[in-house]
This record gives sequence, C-alpha cells and structure tokens, in this order.
Amino acid sequence: MRLILSAIALTAFFWQATVAQPVQGVPTDSYSLEKTHAYLTFSVKHAGLSDYVVNFTDFDVNLDFNAQSPELSKVQAVINLTSLNTNLPDPEKKGEWEDELLFDPKFFNARTANEIRFISNSVERTSENTGIVTGELHFLGVKKTVQLDVEYNGNGKTRRFGDRTLIGFNARGTIKRSDYGMDVLIPFIGDEVDIEFSGELVQDQ
Amino acid sequence: MRKHLPYLVPLLALTIACSEMQNEPITEPKMVSEMGLIPELEGVATATYSLDKSHAFLTFKVTHANGLSDYRMNFSKFDATIDFNPEKPEMSSIMVTIDPTSVVSNYPGDYKAGHPKSEFDTWDEDVSRNKRWLNSDNFPEISFKSTTITRTGEKTGTVTGDLSLLEITAPVTLDVTFNGSANFQWLGERDVIGFNAETTFNRSKFGMATFVPYIGDEVRVEFTGEFVQDE
Repeated sequence: MRLILSAIALTAFFWQATVAQPVQGVPTDSYSLEKTHAYLTFSVKHAGLSDYVVNFTDFDVNLDFNAQSPELSKVQAVINLTSLNTNLPDPEKKGEWEDELLFDPKFFNARTANEIRFISNSVERTSENTGIVTGELHFLGVKKTVQLDVEYNGNGKTRRFGDRTLIGFNARGTIKRSDYGMDVLIPFIGDEVDIEFSGELVQDQ
Repeated sequence: MRKHLPYLVPLLALTIACSEMQNEPITEPKMVSEMGLIPELEGVATATYSLDKSHAFLTFKVTHANGLSDYRMNFSKFDATIDFNPEKPEMSSIMVTIDPTSVVSNYPGDYKAGHPKSEFDTWDEDVSRNKRWLNSDNFPEISFKSTTITRTGEKTGTVTGDLSLLEITAPVTLDVTFNGSANFQWLGERDVIGFNAETTFNRSKFGMATFVPYIGDEVRVEFTGEFVQDE
C-alpha cells in the first residue's frame, strides 16, 4: 500500500515538474520597466523598534522574457542611488539627511559610485506563478550573489501601450549590508536590508 | 479575572518549559517578572507618547491594472498619540491624523507633459486634491481613533477604531505588533516604544469607487514607527 502511495506521489511530482505551463498570453520578447508603475523599497530595522523605509524613485529594469520556459529568462536592474526618498516631513531636514545618507562614505558613498546593479544568472520556477531569481548584486564596489523571490502577477494590455503586452511582478529579497562593507551602526541599525519591488514591464517596441 | 490575566501567560510558559525540561538536568528556574510583563514592557512608563516623525512611515497600496502591480504611496505628514498602558495594553488608546495633501507617489518624470489636460501640476496633487481621489480641499484631514484594543499574543494585538476618510466614518481593525522599547541618550529618561501595524479596507466603503476594479478596491495600509514619551 505504501509503495502504491509512493508511486502516485512520485508520478504526481514528475507530472508537475515536466508539465510546467508556458506563461499564457505573453510574447517571448524583451520588456522594459514601465516607470510610472514601479516601486522599489529598502528597509532596515532602527533600534529594533521600527523599520526605516527608503524608496528609490529612479531605477530601470530590462527583462528578456521567455514565455515557453520562464527559467530561461534574464533580468537586469540598475538603481540610481541619488533618487532615494526618505519621506522625512520637514523639507530642509529631508535634504540634509538624504545628502548625508547618499554621500557619507559610511552610507551610500555616492560620490564614488552612484548606482546599484543587479544581473540575473539563473531563474528557477517554484510554482506556476512564483520563482527564484539568482543574480549578482553590484553595490559599493562589491559583487555578491543574491536571491529574489519573485511572483508573477499577470499580464494585460492598456490603451496607452496599444498592442504591447504589460507584465507585472512582485519581488523581494534580503541582503546583509555588511557583506558590501556598509557596517555603520550595526546592530543599532539592522544589518539586514529587506528589498521590495512591485511593478510592471512593457514589451519593447 | 482581568487583573490576574497578565500572570497567566508567564505561568503557562513556565509550565510548558518545565514539562519540556523533564529529561534535562535541573537548571536555574526561568525568571518570571513580578508584573507578568514581557521583558520589552518592563519599566515602560504608563504615559502619553507622541510619534517620532523622523522614524515613522505610512504606506498604502492598491493593485493596478487588475492586479499587475501594487501601486504604492506614502503619506509624509501624519501624527499619532498613544495613551499607553504597558500593564494593560488593552486599556491603551491611539489617535492618528493624516494630512492628505502630503501624498508622495514618487511619480517619475514630467507629469504635466504626459497629462496636459490635467488641472493639477503633479500626480501627487491630483491624488490629493482631485474629487475622485482624496478630495483634500473639502476633506483636509484623515483620522483614526481607537475604540477597542485586544491582545492576541505577547507582542501582538488588534486595534479597532473609527477611520474618518472623505465623508464617511467607519470601523477598521489594525493588526499591531509591539516591536519593543528603548531609552536613547539624547532623550534622557523618556521611553521610546515601537510598533508595526497593518490593515486593509475597501475604499468603496468610504465613497471612493473610482476605477474599481481596474485599480483595486482593497487598500492595504502599512505603518512602522516609534513613539516618544511626552515630557
């Protein structure tokens, strides 16, 4: 009896693994970020009491999407560090604090390099609409492998983009900033950085 | 009964701990606080606490294009006051006010160039002032006043209260996590406490049904922040 159950389970497993569905309704093509519908947030713990949340407002993503075999897709992202937004309510303090965050060599050191880059090197599908994208994160002169948990939200067309297909994703990952040499005030300001993305990409013309 | 409730949690924990330790050498008994408080609530003052506006974030999200992405905005100007009772957190109360003109959408590029017909200069202004969105000219404040607090775990609880948004006041329930307490040198004896909170509600319930369901009806609200004991 146990053998039969095992056989069924094994068959089910391979069935699922071998008939991973192509992504319906999405052309295999290159896609670029639709920047008016895209969010990128970094957060770190402050004093263990709250999450300090920073948005990057200028970043770009290019995706070579393979609808037949999504695991053959490739993605690249570049983040302009100078676009960080802390949402501090007082405009004067906001400016000062963001300059410090950006240019202080203890923090983003943006006078030396003002970009963060991510280049995928493998994509693993974990269920119909989820996967893990592994790639290299280039940050503060250090290159490290990171993993992002990605969720495919669907596809659609809008009047603005005509026949070009839009696809949407959420992604999240966690890195240790100390891995990149940014260890200021750890653990008062957390070492772990939670990264959250939600956005749409539009098929290139 | 309520008076003795705080003692029950550590007692239960101790019972479980003891039963798990049966086969282990006897070690120091676990410390049980006199007040029955979790360590992070020990010594925290029963007092009024105000938001530390430089460590506070308020985000709301709605889905866009029938679910392709989460559209995310922040309010940069809001305030909150907690009357905090660490011995009986359920007796605490909180009051929040949000300035709807402080919407930050992080819209990239030149909004006016892409939307020449808009009567607003920026997308943030559109969301804030447009009658189909937050209509802030007529409703210059969003507010939340707690009515009932229930403790659901050591560090978690629900805060139910009245949300006043546009012309409607209706109850919403926040899931709240207490992150801990601390003292900072620069604040002297004043205690600092931190919380995360989140909730979802349907905006249509408050009369804002614009573009539902293309833009999601469900609004997800996320807060994280610190509160400093008043002087």
